[in-house]
Amino acid sequence: MRLAQFLGAAAVAAAAALAGPGAVKAQQLVIWHDLGDNGVAWFERAGAEFAKTKPGVSVRSISYPTDQWFGRVISAINTNTAPDLIFNNYERVIRIQTQTKKVMDLRATLNQVADKGFLSEDDLRVATFDNAMIILPVQRVQMAFGMRQSWLTKTGETFPQSWDDVKRIAAKFRDNDPDGNGRADTFGLALQAAKPRDLVHMLDLFTFGSGLRHTLIDPQGQITIDRPEHAQVLEEFLKTYSQYKFVAPDTINHSFNEMYQVILGGRGGMFRVGDWNVRGWDGANALNGDFVSGPWPAFGGRPNSVVIGGMRGVAVPDNSPNKALALEFAKFLLGKEAQQASLELVGAAVRKDLNVDALSPRQQFFARANHRLAAYDFPESVHTFYPELEAAFHRKLLAGIANPPADWKPFIAETAREMRELAAKLKN
Amino acid sequence: MALAATIDLAWRNRVFYLFAAPFAALTAVFGLWPIALSIQVSFTASGTALSAAPSYVGLANYATVLADPLFLASMARTLLYTALAVVANLAFALAMAMLIDSPRLKTGTMFFRLALFLPVVTPDVAGYVVWRWLFDRSFGSINAALGSLGLPEFGGIASVDTVTTAILIAELWHHAGFYMTIFLANLAMRDRALEEAAAIDGASAWQTWRHVILPQLRPAIVVNLVYATIQFLKTFTVVVVMTKGGPADRTNFVSYYAYQLFDQARYGEATAMATILFACVIALSLGAFKLVDREAAR
Repeated sequence: MRLAQFLGAAAVAAAAALAGPGAVKAQQLVIWHDLGDNGVAWFERAGAEFAKTKPGVSVRSISYPTDQWFGRVISAINTNTAPDLIFNNYERVIRIQTQTKKVMDLRATLNQVADKGFLSEDDLRVATFDNAMIILPVQRVQMAFGMRQSWLTKTGETFPQSWDDVKRIAAKFRDNDPDGNGRADTFGLALQAAKPRDLVHMLDLFTFGSGLRHTLIDPQGQITIDRPEHAQVLEEFLKTYSQYKFVAPDTINHSFNEMYQVILGGRGGMFRVGDWNVRGWDGANALNGDFVSGPWPAFGGRPNSVVIGGMRGVAVPDNSPNKALALEFAKFLLGKEAQQASLELVGAAVRKDLNVDALSPRQQFFARANHRLAAYDFPESVHTFYPELEAAFHRKLLAGIANPPADWKPFIAETAREMRELAAKLKN
Repeated sequence: MALAATIDLAWRNRVFYLFAAPFAALTAVFGLWPIALSIQVSFTASGTALSAAPSYVGLANYATVLADPLFLASMARTLLYTALAVVANLAFALAMAMLIDSPRLKTGTMFFRLALFLPVVTPDVAGYVVWRWLFDRSFGSINAALGSLGLPEFGGIASVDTVTTAILIAELWHHAGFYMTIFLANLAMRDRALEEAAAIDGASAWQTWRHVILPQLRPAIVVNLVYATIQFLKTFTVVVVMTKGGPADRTNFVSYYAYQLFDQARYGEATAMATILFACVIALSLGAFKLVDREAAR
């Protein structure tokens, strides 16, 4: 009798706990990204802030290496096991949308955000693909030209402005033992040229940073590389890998990891600095703050700039398990608390009203963004065939670097002709 | 009648089949099923390949792949590299096995066996990273040694002229010990009385090796030839770690090219490439096996 009474009471208590009006159902949002530990820390802090307005809600972020992120996201969305949200660069979300057609149009969601004046037309254009807003833009990706401050001091130079300055300094970095170890083991620049996009990625920075608007093709579908102002940048860029001998001889095998080894190992004096690099490179085990950032070198008297290389944003799959809540969190990431955490932990944000006083001078360079900014032209958004065209362009340039011609001008003219033929073929 | 005999044989060996069944099931699930799935994906449109209801496109992916000059060049390069690597590895392994087996090598046999076999058990990624550093033209010790001897610089993995040789050396270092061990096992089992008879008949050392020892090594040659052919047709890790297909596509072998397409989410074409490579591996392995087997039967 007693046992029956006890079990009955327990059952009633359990039912009350589960169905009572005061019951709170715990909900967890899952977000997949590729930002590593910094990103995990950011989402953890943003999730904690979000939970203050949504009791019982938690956010769990999982970071994958970029190539794994693609496969996992595509297969999860296509098999209805999608996470609640995904976060990555706009062009990667475009690829997810191309493969799945299941990324939500977020225009209505953005319209619900009252405080969004900090998003420019460029930002919104980047976020749009095939007439749908596939990401809410959350972080602008800035990429500057950087160099070792101590090497500049040692060689009696200041931060270069023109390409001629860069060539002079690169020669000194290579020949004048700027690290003082008595060995000829330093190079002017640390670049990359191994995998698809490595080379073009570097060329993009020199191109946009020097005031040109397109690397390979314009929005009307015209190939630009043999226009005189483009050809000049391309020729100097290719000579940097070959005749000038400003880079490590194995650069043709260098991708991101190897390039970072040259930078962090103290062998390359000039390099690309992304806003996401600064926090790590400020550390004692990296560059220990021994670097300075600025705009990319100027060519031909055009104004030079820091490059906005892309836009990272949050996207919501159509089959997100907690779609309504996921959209709420996506909007929350544009709020001041989440943006402040993004700036401090990842090094990038889109809001301009954030507190930057606690950041290092190198972080403040990006956060204050007092320099001229030039945006990447996002050809993927305009030409669906662009990845294939770009891969062919990359192969052609690499073949040239592997067997450098005595004169690059005919090579550039021939490359332009081949790219025109390929673009025409791919369009059809 | 034959069926009854088969059933009877199976029943008599039922305990064996009972114990083998779990492993056969695991092989089917984790070995054969993924291959079947991969082949299935090669007939689907990439965009729908991973969905619950993929669109089938027949042989379109195969047509695309076979019309791609980069793939054809990659396939030709893969076959050439396989031929070079098989010959180099087996010749080196055989030479080392003969050296270690030689009665003239009185001491240090164990040391040489270990020295040649240790790379086989070394993680391949770690080994190839070290080789990349050794070949590096700015700080690698190979060029430092060549320089100190007054010899010209070796282009290593950064030059289109030397990259094939460079990765061949790295792969030889990693794999030859395995083939050598197979040769050594075969050498230990040979009939030494035949060599004594040849010596009494006045055969030279070369004649003894060519006509007495080498024919007895046929089983090891068959195993090594088939295994090496399979191994080098699928060359991948050394490319990922050391060259990433470059310079100028010179090491862009089929496995790596297919992997790049996976990275671009072109699953249909990538699995079509993988299936073509799989067919080549099967055909060449069977061909090598039949060829050596027929020679043995003569």
